[in-house]
Parts: sequence; C-alpha cells; structure tokens
Amino acid sequence: MSPNALCFGDEFSAAGAPCLVQVEEHGLTVTFASDAADGQSESVPFSSLTVSAGGLDHDQLVVKWAGQKGERTLYLKNPDIIRAFRQAAPDQLSHSFEQAAERVRQVRHRGQLVWGLVGGVFLATVLGLWFQSDLLVEIAVSRIPVEWEQKLGESAYRDFLSHQDVMKEGPAVAALREMTQRMTAQIPDSPYKFEVTVVKSDVVNAFALPGGYVVVFTGLMKKAESGEEVAGVLSHELNHVLQRHGLERIVKSLGIMTVAAIVLGNQQGLVGMMKQLGVELFTLKFGREQETEADLSGLQLLQRAKIDPSGMITFFERLSEKDQGRMGWLSTHPMSAARADRLKAELAALPKKSPEPFTFDWKQVQAGL
Amino acid sequence: MKSEVLYPGAFPMVRVDLAAGENIKAESGAMVACSPTIDIESKMEGGFLGALSRKFLTGEKFFFQTLRASRGPGEALLAPTVPGEIVILELDGVNEYMVQKDGFLAGADTIVIESKMQGLSRGLLGGEGFFILKISGKGTLVLNSFGAIHKIELKPDQEYIVDNSHLVAWSSTTSYNIEKATSGWVASFTSGEGFVCRFRGPGLVYIQSRNPGSFGAWIRQFIPVSE
Repeated sequence: MSPNALCFGDEFSAAGAPCLVQVEEHGLTVTFASDAADGQSESVPFSSLTVSAGGLDHDQLVVKWAGQKGERTLYLKNPDIIRAFRQAAPDQLSHSFEQAAERVRQVRHRGQLVWGLVGGVFLATVLGLWFQSDLLVEIAVSRIPVEWEQKLGESAYRDFLSHQDVMKEGPAVAALREMTQRMTAQIPDSPYKFEVTVVKSDVVNAFALPGGYVVVFTGLMKKAESGEEVAGVLSHELNHVLQRHGLERIVKSLGIMTVAAIVLGNQQGLVGMMKQLGVELFTLKFGREQETEADLSGLQLLQRAKIDPSGMITFFERLSEKDQGRMGWLSTHPMSAARADRLKAELAALPKKSPEPFTFDWKQVQAGL
Repeated sequence: MKSEVLYPGAFPMVRVDLAAGENIKAESGAMVACSPTIDIESKMEGGFLGALSRKFLTGEKFFFQTLRASRGPGEALLAPTVPGEIVILELDGVNEYMVQKDGFLAGADTIVIESKMQGLSRGLLGGEGFFILKISGKGTLVLNSFGAIHKIELKPDQEYIVDNSHLVAWSSTTSYNIEKATSGWVASFTSGEGFVCRFRGPGLVYIQSRNPGSFGAWIRQFIPVSE
C-alpha cells in the first residue's frame, strides 16, 4: 500500500503517521502503514468527522475526530481522495466543506491580491514617474525661491546682453516700457520685477528668462504692424515667467533625481542645478502645454491691460504664413492653425472691453529702429 | 543507500554508501571525497528552466551534482560550506518539507525538489527569502544548518515561536504567521528580535542555533577595511 495522508495523534510521532485513507459508503477507513502501527485500520463514520482547511498554504484538508485513543487529526492533500470524500460525504458535512473550500479560495485570493497590489503600486510608481512627472516637477518648482530664480536668470541675462548690441534709448525702448508697465500694473502681487531689453538684431524673436528678464529683438518689432502685436508677444513671454515655465523645463531636463532632491529639500540639488543653468537656459524649449498656457493667460493679461488682444492673434498668424523656416520666434513657438483657433475661441469667450490705444505712434517707433 | 553522519558537532561530514548503480544528488560543491567507482555528474534538476529559476530565485546552485556508483559500490563523503550540524531525514512519500535555500545538502535520487514562492509577508519578513525549496517524494534527505539543528515537535494546534532566519526546514502540515516579537513596534526592534514566526502544528520544525545574517554582521566589524 502507498500512504496518501498523514495522521496525527498522541501515540504517533510528531511528524505524523503515514496512512492510507479510503472513502467508503458510510465513512473513512484509515489504514496505517505497517511500521507505524502494525498495519491496523480504523473505520470512522462521517457523522463523527469535522473538516477544515489547514497546512502551510491552507491547501490541505484537515479531518478531525475523537478516536478510541484520543483526538485524531488527518491531513489530506491528494486531490482525488478529497474529491471522493466530498462526493460521498453526507449533507451535514457539506457546509464545513464549503467553508474549507472558501477558506482555501480566500487565502489564494488574498495572496494574489497582495501580489497584484504590490505589482500595481510598483507599476503605477514607475509609470507615474515616467509620464506624470509634471506634478512632481510642479512641487519641486514651487520649492525654489524666487530670489534663486532671479539670480540664475540675471546671470544668464547679463551674460547674453554683454555680447549683444543693446538699444538703450529711443522710441522703441519707450514703447516697450509703456507696454510692460500697462501689463505689470495688472499683476500687482507678482514677485517679479520685469526687465525688458531691446536688442538690435534682425532675428524675429523674443524670449524670457526665469526671474523676469525679457529680450525683444528689433527684427520682431520691424515685422509687427502695430504695437498691439508686439504687446501680444510680450504678454506671452511675461506669462512664461509668471508661470515659471523656464524653471519647470530646467527641473524636467535635469531629471527626476533633481526633482526628488529639491522636493526633499536637498540644497545640493539646487546648487548642482545652478551650475548647469548657463547651458540650459538658452536651449530651453517650452512644452506644448506650456505654450498654450502662456497663450491663454497672455490673452487674458492683454484684456485686463486693455490692449487689443487681436493683435496677438494676427501677428501669430502672419508669422506662420510667411518665412516659416527663418522665423526665430516660430522655431521655438511653432504656430498651428489649431493654436490660433483656440486663441480666437478664447478671445470670443472673454468679455468685450474697449481697448485703450498706446500713446506712441507705431510707425514712428518702427522708423526709429 | 545508507548514510551516516561523521564527527557530529560543528564540522560534520556525511558518509553515503551507494550500491552499484545507485545515485544521489547533492548541492554542488558538497563532495569532499569518494571511491573511484563513483562518477560525478552535474545535473540541472527540474530541467533548464527549473534550474534557472532555482539559481535566480532561491540563490541555490544552478547545478546539483549527481554522484553515481556506476562502476560498482562505493562511498562518498559530503560536507556543507558552513560550520554546523547535519541531519538525515527519511521521507515516506507523504511528508513534505519546506527547506530554506541553504538547508539542502543531499538527497536520494527519488526525492523531488521544487522552488516555491512564499507569500509577501513570509518572503519579506520571514528571513528565508521569497523562494524556498519544497522537498517531497520518498527517500533520504540530508539537511545542514548553521550551528546546531534542533527539532521541534508540534502536536495539532500547538504553537511555537521561532525568530526569523533561524528556520532550516518545516513540514507542510505546519503553518506560520509572521508577527512582531513584542506588542510594540519599537520594543520589537530594540529587543533585537524584530519579527518572529509563530508556528502552529501538527508537524516538525527544524531550527538552527545560529543566525547566519547576524553572524555576518558580527564578523564584519573584525574585517580590516582595505584602502
């Protein structure tokens, strides 16, 4: 005979006595292996049995009864014998069987659930870091003080201007100053002091550095047909600064480790970041979402400052039609029909305000360039 | 096949007598000496994938060595790497043992060795790792420990608490839960026990009298730091 179960009881060793369990019509017959208890066998009626689940993984069927020599416990794991037992067992045992089966399922299910949860959390973390790092970036950016931002923006700004032909006085400078003042008057609690410089260059471009340092090239002013158009670009750039888009890009390009370092308050991360900034600042390209954000908030700012916002749209549209490849501003601000459409829709939704014209005459400004 | 533990204590060996044609499997590197009639083969127990999973999952060796008395009867002397006791168990075909990954030394060819993944809490906190060996079948099983081996016999529903990392082998009729050593978290760790395993019978639990991880940590302080 080959045993198919282990029987535990007072007279057996703690490892259990191997035995052969057979299912009969009215109960179980347990035959012990010859060396354990002289090949004796014991018949137990179903009525005196209790069943439950047990063992290391709760995958064994535990059958207990009170024998003549004390309590007996049988551990069954052979699926055939368990199935036969379950089929032959009378109704009063079926409830216990159900409970035992339920317990096995529960344990298995819980195991799967726990592993699934661990896997899920791990996956979510990885995916989250990969795709949804924006939130972390935002947190990191919000922890960087404005003074830091100004310091790093200023050094790059001074460095840039030292190699450029800066226009110090003239109608163009005055016109930009007026535009800037009208717009900054609408953002009184902004921590930034905007500094707008006109640089003599045919490049049709303008850019903003973190901290509020804005450069407008004369090429862009020559292309514009009205002050409102330049104001539109300026408003867009100011909003990049206000929403700290530059910092976001820097933090993003420096990677998730820097982000974590900043979020966790590690100043070393900031110092390391500062060192890399000189390189990073001018190669910054804003993301599409950041452009949209700057467009929309720029539009609203123009509206508040009572500058005709349609200038922004017409200028964007005109730039995108002509000379697409050569346009500096367009190379970093790709224009699409969708972008202009969104702006138009946004403009239509804004309450109408009668614009106040600038005090300068744009043709004269252009003549002085 | 007959086996006998020589020099019981900290530095034992096991002598296995093999009849002609008989073979045993042993942990790779376990053979110390053998008769010239015995051939040593390496075998990937459980096939290539089984061996691979054992290697990467349990940290056990990729190959087991098979000692085969192919040219007549002979004997082989086997010893584990670490100082500690050796125990010989006879599996009867019904009993199954879970063995922590370093506990297996040798076994008859008829025993079956599988890698098994433990649940999360047992794997993480039990001190045996996520993967353990499940050993079943019929025949001789030789286990080794770090330190002395102590056998705990549990009656049905009898409970016993074992510090994690002290487990060598336990029968599959027992079950255990991981719990804190004391009721408080801080005291659990300051008491030096951290997590413990609460075993519930029936069945056997083999424990080792030394904790390899703690021993490693202790010995590290004496290792000179190279420049």
